[in-house]
Amino acid sequence: MLHDVVIHENEATRIGQVLSSFLEESGVSEALLIDRSGQLLASTGKSPSFDTVSIGALAAGAFSSTNAIAELLGETEFSVLFHQGVRESIHVSTVDKETILLAIFNEGTTVGMVRLFAKEACRAIGAVLAEARTQPRRVGALAAPLTADEARTDIGPKKH
Amino acid sequence: MSIINYAAKEINFKIVYYGPGVAGKTASLQHVHRSLPDGNKGKMISLATGDDRTIFFDFLPVSSLSVRGFVTKFQLYTVPGQVYYNMTRKLVLRGIDGVVFVADSQFERMKENAESFRNLEENLREYDYELDRIQYNKRDLPNAAPVSYMEYLLNRRARRVPSFETVASQGTGVFDALNTVSRMVLLSEFGQEQEVQRNAS
Repeated sequence: MLHDVVIHENEATRIGQVLSSFLEESGVSEALLIDRSGQLLASTGKSPSFDTVSIGALAAGAFSSTNAIAELLGETEFSVLFHQGVRESIHVSTVDKETILLAIFNEGTTVGMVRLFAKEACRAIGAVLAEARTQPRRVGALAAPLTADEARTDIGPKKH
Repeated sequence: MSIINYAAKEINFKIVYYGPGVAGKTASLQHVHRSLPDGNKGKMISLATGDDRTIFFDFLPVSSLSVRGFVTKFQLYTVPGQVYYNMTRKLVLRGIDGVVFVADSQFERMKENAESFRNLEENLREYDYELDRIQYNKRDLPNAAPVSYMEYLLNRRARRVPSFETVASQGTGVFDALNTVSRMVLLSEFGQEQEVQRNAS
């Protein structure tokens, strides 16, 4: 079973800082931190029009299937994935066993620059996430167990 | 694998719809997508072949009621049903918090149901996880097997799970199944330990 992820205020701030420096140094336009199950953990960028939730799910799928191919070739994993587009390109790299870093960039920078600074960012984020995993899961408003009445989801045609 | 983000005040869960090909997994998600108001859903993505068979997964993020000020979201996935896509199914199961098995109620599809069910059990063992809910779909068809027979085939075991009759193409029962599995997931994560019964609706 994979470990659940908890991000507290402190870790969120530190991750945000790492992503912002990564953006500045590498020249990428958007940086997404994605859990390998497809969920978005954090994002920073200059292009608010991107559908980051969908990109996260699809990129995690692409990364997982690429790693399954790596295993078939006798590799442990392909730690970097690169998709080159006409205007936008994507660079995906491994943060740790559970997490990947996705960078979206255009002709304003080079894949070499992105790769160089992504490595550094992955190392820094990996350290923050390792610390986050030692933190308690349920604190503050979520510390006390939910009552049966609170555990309602009401997913349906009615707007919440 | 739930993700709690205290900074963003957000909780995320992953639920997977599993089952044989053409049983109604994608149809279930399509109904949810059609029915939800815009603010409560994201974009539905389907990675399908030219003839609309799922080749990798369908994906639909939905939001539910907030929990103590935390926005609660469920990411719904389907898997490809065809037997030869097993590696892909395993990838989609990564990090699940809940799983619904969608069975095809037609008599002539029982073998496919049984094979897919076995395959799910095998794959779940790798993730140390157990099935949560069953949807008996296509209940409107004249050749649908009685629910008692389907229970006998798929659910009469030491650990029985709640089951639902659905007609995914019309949406019948789809939200009942989704809300009980999402509620179960929520209680598993945040309920009192002694109250958490994965089998209870």
